[in-house]
Amino acid sequence: MPVSPTRLSPTRRLAATTAAGVVSLLALAACGSSGDDSGSTSSATAASDVAPVKDGAAQVGVTLTQGSGGDQCQLDHAKAAAGPVTFTVTNKDAASITEVELISDQRILGEKENLAPGLSAVSFTVTLGGGTYQVYCPGAATENQSFTVTGQAAATPTGDAAALLTAGTKEYGAYAAQVLSDMQTAVGNLASAVDSGNLAEAKKQYALARPFYEKVESAVEGFVKPGYKADDNKGNLDYLIDMRASNLDPAVGWHGFHAIERDLYQKGAITAQTKKYATELQANTKELATVSKTLTYKPEDLANGAAGLLEEVQSNKIKGEEELYSHLDLVDFAANVEGAQQAFAYLKPGLEKIDPTLTDNVAKQFDNVDAALEKYKDPTQAGGYKLWTPALRATDAASLSKTVQALQDPLSQIAQKVATAQ
Amino acid sequence: MAVGALAAGGTAWGLEAASGSDSPTASDRDLVDLTKSHAFYDQPHPPGIQTPPQRHCIVMTFDMSEGTVGSDLQTLLARWSAAISRLMAGQPVGQVQPTRTEAIGQDTGEASGLDPASLTVTVGLGPGLFDKRFGLATKRPALLRPLPVLPSDALVTSQSGGDLSLQVCSDDPQVTYHAVRNLARMARDTVQTRWTVIGFGRASAGGGQQTPRNLLGFKDGTRNVREPEEFDRFVWLKDAGWMTGGTYQVVRKIEMDIEIWDADRVSDQEHIFGRTKLEGAPLTGRTEMDTPNFSAQAKDGTPVIDPTAHIALAAAENNQGVKILRRGYNYTDGINQFGQLDAGLLFIAYVNDPQHFITLQRRLGASDLLNEYISHVGSGIFAVPPTPATGHYIGEQLFA
Repeated sequence: MPVSPTRLSPTRRLAATTAAGVVSLLALAACGSSGDDSGSTSSATAASDVAPVKDGAAQVGVTLTQGSGGDQCQLDHAKAAAGPVTFTVTNKDAASITEVELISDQRILGEKENLAPGLSAVSFTVTLGGGTYQVYCPGAATENQSFTVTGQAAATPTGDAAALLTAGTKEYGAYAAQVLSDMQTAVGNLASAVDSGNLAEAKKQYALARPFYEKVESAVEGFVKPGYKADDNKGNLDYLIDMRASNLDPAVGWHGFHAIERDLYQKGAITAQTKKYATELQANTKELATVSKTLTYKPEDLANGAAGLLEEVQSNKIKGEEELYSHLDLVDFAANVEGAQQAFAYLKPGLEKIDPTLTDNVAKQFDNVDAALEKYKDPTQAGGYKLWTPALRATDAASLSKTVQALQDPLSQIAQKVATAQ
Repeated sequence: MAVGALAAGGTAWGLEAASGSDSPTASDRDLVDLTKSHAFYDQPHPPGIQTPPQRHCIVMTFDMSEGTVGSDLQTLLARWSAAISRLMAGQPVGQVQPTRTEAIGQDTGEASGLDPASLTVTVGLGPGLFDKRFGLATKRPALLRPLPVLPSDALVTSQSGGDLSLQVCSDDPQVTYHAVRNLARMARDTVQTRWTVIGFGRASAGGGQQTPRNLLGFKDGTRNVREPEEFDRFVWLKDAGWMTGGTYQVVRKIEMDIEIWDADRVSDQEHIFGRTKLEGAPLTGRTEMDTPNFSAQAKDGTPVIDPTAHIALAAAENNQGVKILRRGYNYTDGINQFGQLDAGLLFIAYVNDPQHFITLQRRLGASDLLNEYISHVGSGIFAVPPTPATGHYIGEQLFA
């Protein structure tokens, strides 16, 4: 796929290694909203008294109404004592506000989405320590309002979600490195089969080697070999490993997996050139596996990576462009989904604390995609899935694509929920 | 072109605001004022029905996704209602430029900077919503049932039915598409798209409008429901519980054999319709608005208007006085697999009793001379709930 300029260099991620360290959120909270550059921060003027406590939690009402100067987001109390605080959100008649969040230094601590006039009030409870927070109502005339909590830190630290997310990114890094290490073995097997000139064995090994890269490609794409310019595909590892007929750069020519695929499946022959492709693929895979061990990720990288893998599904696999000659697209499809699911799984413990509804929805939609893919499993095929032939595409592509779309939408919301402070 | 000129001139031309008495004069009758907008909340009836037909219209239908439940439908209708109120006011449904770096836009942005263009969005509920899935079986609108098989039906499953429909019309095709796209987008984890027809020019007149033409080149809707008392009599539901003030919507995708029609002599085309081509006068009259005389005979004793001519079969006087509101649009899907122009009529009707449509279409489907040139390939029926009051949403009573 074309490389976007912002993703070109691994140094961006390497530089950020320590930025997301496990700093207590309570400490950050006490710093107030200095990092908030979104403008209009104001305190709720008519609501300065301390929120009453009921059922063990301070009760804060958030009412959304329409007004002459735009929709309003009003708090009945702008202060609470440290401890559990329940925010109950009622959208009376504010058509432009669909979401309310409680934020501390750009980190979302709790929120409600899908708000619309006429629906019943909904609430979320967070345990807050002393400090200044913001209530964020995107679409309101005043989007940010400060909310003050007095007293000490509560027993349950609110930094939990952030710590869980950071832990998740480390585990994901290890996962990605492991996948690429396994890929080295599989590509080694493919190269041996190609070298031996055994066409049937080479096809089998091709199918077995494909999924690894597809699981992590969005996390590692965009690497440029040392000494090459960013816009030169000769040094672009993603191009060299995974270029396709549909993104062929004539100046650089055929390389990698799909060059081998073309020879094995379309030409039906292993030539000296095929062997060269396989050797080169082996070397590039090794280089990628090596660099992957040095990478670190931010939570939003995982979220964006997962969304990127689903984009791959929609743009290349559904259309049958990825495996033009072998029709193994469903193998890649399943690997893309698995990679996205892994990234989500590592975010899940933290995300659940921030937005349980979104977490549940994404999990549910992943289940639906898994169930849809289940129908195409075929143990008699190398790779384990039916061939995505033009005939099967004609009957099944639309419904499969819609199932993935239903996952893509909630998944694309995750990045902003887990994004770390800049 | 007048559209652009007027839009650029803003309201300087002094046209009335929405729903005003915009009776046309010879000079301004079909001018479009893109700054015009229609209200969504607190209206006696849903938008996009009595509203003078805009220039462009898209119908899209949806199925509730597998495994969704009543609360999913409830949230969808509430979110759609809020978003529709924004879109009709010419506002984005949410942030185009998100405050946060990692956020996706809430609105896709392609209508930013464009005027409201009289946008209306009409939401329809299909019969399927009232099966067991959502616990709404007891709330089914009294007359909402799948349409029976009608004579000459050539329906394609993938272009028929649906649990929900959106009729989105405006005077700017980009504004229209933006609305459809964003409403579909916010519903993507609840519904799946089923079929859509993209209409590009109105083929029915509303009150005060010049009668437009369908792609057969004939005026369509000369004798349409136009007057408020006709709407009360034939369109709006009365004493219908939570549906009072609403109506039923019938959508048909009618394919036309354009090339074959174009090769037919105009005198035969006029015989088929029962009207003259250019003026649109009934064959028994001189001007468009002359009342057809279905008993008039030629010197040889044959009827002047063939009893199986289109207007004869559809006329109220030949159908116990029944009228339906037609609010159709021309459409094209490009070129079909046979290399022919793929085009026709996006027929949309509003009735307070679907039986009125069924009665008319039974006769037309069985004997209309026009059937040689058209086929009904898509079909759907939907209940259109009344418009919500401020602070409420479409169909809220279903979940009470």
